[in-house]
Amino acid sequence: MKITTTMIAGLALLALTGFTTPPAQAAEEWGIDGEKISRFDAKVVDIACELTGDCPANCGGGKRHLGLLRDDGTLVLPAKNQDIFAGALADLLPNCGKKITADGLMITTKHMPLFALQFSRPEGGEWRRSNAFGKQWSKANGGQESGQWFKSDPRILSAIKEDGVYGIPGLKPPKDE
Amino acid sequence: MRTRLASLALGFGLAITILAPLGTGPAAAAKATAKRVQVSGEVIDTWCYVTEIMYAQGTAHHQCAVWCAVGGIPVSVLGTDGKVYVVLKIEDEESAVATPRILKVQSHDVTVDGDLYVRDGVNYLIVTQVADDKGVVNMTHEEYGIQPFGK
Repeated sequence: MKITTTMIAGLALLALTGFTTPPAQAAEEWGIDGEKISRFDAKVVDIACELTGDCPANCGGGKRHLGLLRDDGTLVLPAKNQDIFAGALADLLPNCGKKITADGLMITTKHMPLFALQFSRPEGGEWRRSNAFGKQWSKANGGQESGQWFKSDPRILSAIKEDGVYGIPGLKPPKDE
Repeated sequence: MRTRLASLALGFGLAITILAPLGTGPAAAAKATAKRVQVSGEVIDTWCYVTEIMYAQGTAHHQCAVWCAVGGIPVSVLGTDGKVYVVLKIEDEESAVATPRILKVQSHDVTVDGDLYVRDGVNYLIVTQVADDKGVVNMTHEEYGIQPFGK
């Protein structure tokens, strides 16, 4: 076979456009002991409903913790998304009762297994970064940047003002801490 | 006649054995059952404690526990038995996600009654009654400072 300039250019173009590299939505390691990159299909469920049969509409509409029910019956607890100090509820709720492909970290420690959702894709849909908490927080807080949301969240400021950083009213850290 | 009935019963039994897994499916087989329990321990942020990405108990971690609770990360009770009990509901409150009550009890030493469901390595707790709340008693800040960033 004769290798032409056009073929070489085509191969170079494929390489540059990411043909040979992992897709941009691929989960990444976070350096946590017991983590394992994991991509799987699962149905988004209201965990309390799944366990008890008490099933409000729309998985509780944001008032209940959501789980990922895999085809083999395993119930996975998603505890984290990609926003700092935030969970995956807002990312999952739009797909209540539906199948998604979840991409993230399955973390198994001596305490229990957890899942950190980094990306998700509804059945037949597009991949989405799991950062819905930050987006919703920003919208609810006058468009503020959500990167440091925990430093300006009104609920947090109120709780810390009332009970202090240690959770004990009147107990304050030394000035040099 | 007796032989024919025995054959029929055997065939029926075999059919049930073969078809039952198709009808119920693995998800149904994995359903958990509740057990009434009383759990005593500290209210913790599940993520930081389980992953051990920082020291995550007591006064040292209280502020971070509030951050994570507001962020919607599941809250747990770290029982005196060393087990983590993920709280799904508290008494008659509709929500256990970032509610004022959830924020208020972070790092508190509590005793709760509830229904325990163990499923796939996770202890899920439906709290039916908070029997006792001693507030924050685990004074860890002198050793660990304020986790994770300091003041």
